[in-house]
Amino acid sequence: MDELELLKKDWKKEDQDYPKLSYKEIYKMILKKSSSIVKWIFIISLLEFVFWAIISLALKDSNMLDGVKDLDMNNIIIPASIISYAILIYFFYLFYKNYRNIIATDSTKRLMENILKTRRTVKYYVAFNLASLVVGTFISLFYVLKHDGNAISQIELASANGELFKVYAIYILVTILILAVVVGILLLFYWLVYGILLKRLNKNYRELKKLEV
Amino acid sequence: MNKELEHSFVELLEKHQNIVHKVCRLYTNNYDAHNDLFQEITIQLWKAYPKFRGDAKFSTWMYRVGLNTAITLYRKSKRIINTQGFDAIQFKIKAEDYDDTEEQQLKLLYKAVHQLNDIEKALVFLYLEDKNYKEISETMGITEVNARVKMNRVKTKLRTILNP
Repeated sequence: MDELELLKKDWKKEDQDYPKLSYKEIYKMILKKSSSIVKWIFIISLLEFVFWAIISLALKDSNMLDGVKDLDMNNIIIPASIISYAILIYFFYLFYKNYRNIIATDSTKRLMENILKTRRTVKYYVAFNLASLVVGTFISLFYVLKHDGNAISQIELASANGELFKVYAIYILVTILILAVVVGILLLFYWLVYGILLKRLNKNYRELKKLEV
Repeated sequence: MNKELEHSFVELLEKHQNIVHKVCRLYTNNYDAHNDLFQEITIQLWKAYPKFRGDAKFSTWMYRVGLNTAITLYRKSKRIINTQGFDAIQFKIKAEDYDDTEEQQLKLLYKAVHQLNDIEKALVFLYLEDKNYKEISETMGITEVNARVKMNRVKTKLRTILNP
C-alpha cells in the first residue's frame, strides 16, 4: 500500500485528537502582536531609514557647517542634499509599496518574492547610502586639500621638502582605511541581521525555484 | 463594526481550528512550538480577514494563510528548542485503533514526514487534505506539472527514509 495513503487514512481519523481552543482563547490570540519576519524586516528597515537620515543631517550640522563656508562647497552640497532627499523619499515610497504587497493569502512563491523584493529595496537604499558616503568623503577630501588653510600650508611645506607625494598618499590612505572600517562594520551588521532573519525564507525559496528548472 | 468582524472571525476559526492544528502538527514537534505557531497563524488570519471575501471557502483560505505562515512568515521564538523526532509530540496515536504493525508503521511515517523540508511538508499536507494538483499548484505558486513531479519525488524520498 502507498505509504501516504496509509497516512491519509490516519490523518483523517485523528481529527478529534487535537486540542480544542475555546472562543475566548482564540479571541485572546487575535489581540496579541505578530512576530513574523515581515514585521521584523519592516522595523529594521525603518531603523535603517532613520539611521541614514540622522547621519546625513548630523554630517550637515556638525563638522561641515563651519568648515563648509570656508571651503566654498555650497555649490555642491545644496544640489547633493536635494537629490539625496528626493532619492530617500523615492526609496521610502518603493519600500512602502512593496511592503503593502506582502499578503499572506498570496501563493507561497509570490509571498516569498514580495518579501524578498521589499528586502531588496532596502538593500539598494543601503548600497546607495554607502556609495554616497564614499563619494562624499572623497569629494570632501578633495575640497579640504584644495581650500583648507591647514592642509594647504602642510602641502606647501611638503612640496618644499620634496615630500608632496607622501602627504597626498597619507591623506588618501587614511581616508580609505577609515571608510573601509566603517563600511565593513555596516556590511557585517546587515549581513548578520538579514542573514539570520531570512535564512529560512531563502532556503525555502530556493527549494521552490529548484522545481522550475 | 470591528466587534462584529471579530466575532464572526473568532467563531469561524473556532469551528475550523483543526486545520491550523494540523499545520502546526506538521511543522512543529513540541507543545510550546505548536502553540506558538498556532498563535502566529491566528494573527495572520485575523490580519487578512478583512480582505476575506465569501467567494473562497473559509477553510481553503485558511490552508493558504496557515501554510504561508508556517513556511515563510513565522519566526521561531528563541525559547523554543527544537528537538528532532516525533516522540515529544502531544498527540498520541490511539493504540486500540490499529494492530501493532500498522501502528508501528504510522509512527515511522510521521517521523519520516517530519524529516522532509518545509516545501515538501506543504505538499504532503495538501495531499493529506485531499487537495487536487490544481489546488496544490495554486497554493504553492508552482505549475501543476511541477507539483506532480515534486509529489512523486516526495513519495520516493519518504520511501527511502523508511527503507534506508
